Amino acid sequence: MLGGASRDARRTERYLDGLMEAEERGAAEAPMDLDLDPAVLFAARELRAGLIRVHPSFRFEEGLAARLGQIGGGTQDGRGEQPAPVRAPASVAPFRTPGVAAPATPAVPAGHSAARDGLATPAAPRRLSLAARPSRPLVVGGVGVASAAISIGAVYVAWRWSRASQTPMVRAVRAARSGRAYASGHGRRAGVLHGILGVMS
Amino acid sequence: MSRPVFGTAEEGARPARLDRDRGLVEAARRDPAHFDALYRKYLAQVYSFAFYELRDHHAAEDATERVFMQALTGLPRFEERADSFVGTGGTAAEIPADASTFRVWLFRIARNVVANERRSDRRRPVAPLEHACDLAAADDIFESAAAREAGSAAWHAVARLPEDRRRAVVLRFVDEMSTAEIAEVLGRSEGAVRVLLHRALRSVAADLRGRLS
Repeated sequence: MLGGASRDARRTERYLDGLMEAEERGAAEAPMDLDLDPAVLFAARELRAGLIRVHPSFRFEEGLAARLGQIGGGTQDGRGEQPAPVRAPASVAPFRTPGVAAPATPAVPAGHSAARDGLATPAAPRRLSLAARPSRPLVVGGVGVASAAISIGAVYVAWRWSRASQTPMVRAVRAARSGRAYASGHGRRAGVLHGILGVMS
Repeated sequence: MSRPVFGTAEEGARPARLDRDRGLVEAARRDPAHFDALYRKYLAQVYSFAFYELRDHHAAEDATERVFMQALTGLPRFEERADSFVGTGGTAAEIPADASTFRVWLFRIARNVVANERRSDRRRPVAPLEHACDLAAADDIFESAAAREAGSAAWHAVARLPEDRRRAVVLRFVDEMSTAEIAEVLGRSEGAVRVLLHRALRSVAADLRGRLS
């Protein structure tokens, strides 16, 4: 003997089956079940209309197909062998100098170079493209720019400090602020800064 | 080699329906290069399941990739079981014509992969649902807007469901599985799945009504 909940659940199931069959047939009208809770009917129709099957990108589809093909070939050659992990362990990305070709990434299938794909959407190519990029611009480029800016700033400050001010008033103010004799202080600073400038140049 | 599938004497010696993917599975076993046909057939279904669960395109792609990799390498261990649906409470007459034990097996893998993904990425924030709703075709702007609105409302309502109900709803409405197949995938009885779906629909109805009002 079915309980009330089970009976309603079975009725709901039959309605859902009918709803989907009607769609497959291309029928305009969905089946009606007057005994079924109207709230359930309403929700079923809303979900049927709103929940769409999603397809991944074409790039992902083809990229994964190529990787599966590679693994399939390997599996056929050596039955029972586990394929190489798709998520490759972290490795050092080599810098690519101008005129030197980047080393081939073994996991990238033929015809799927990360450089050609750009920012590839497939999962593994996406990871591979990060590893295959020539110079990790966000990290390496950022440090380079920062150090260059610091160097330029140091050179400018050194130049400003080593350059004797043209007006006597400025020289007097500097001497009074430092509380030291202008000539000796200027000479010491100038010596140090000239040393820095020598190193920088 | 899969075992032969015939109905038992209690079922009137009627041969049970074969796995509709049997030919493809056998071909893929003989030559893994033929796995491509199974992959193309179920890619969107597996991806959709992962996408609705993880709510992120990239995470869904990663999960989909893992599912098919595991399926390909585990294919020699796959065993077709025509009686699997009967074992969950259904009868041979109730086995849907399009039932596929390969699909059930594949979605079991998907369920495990998605569960692992969710466990490992608990701290990763999920993408806003609005991004996931950007699915409607842009042929007709009004239709597109209406579809997007309906999709958005459905998404929100489904996202608020408890995990087991949400999975059952996605498998039923998005992947168009029968109750028997969902029961196999989720490892529940058919009766439990029916009740899950019924309660899920009531919750969704209350949610949608609340939004409309």
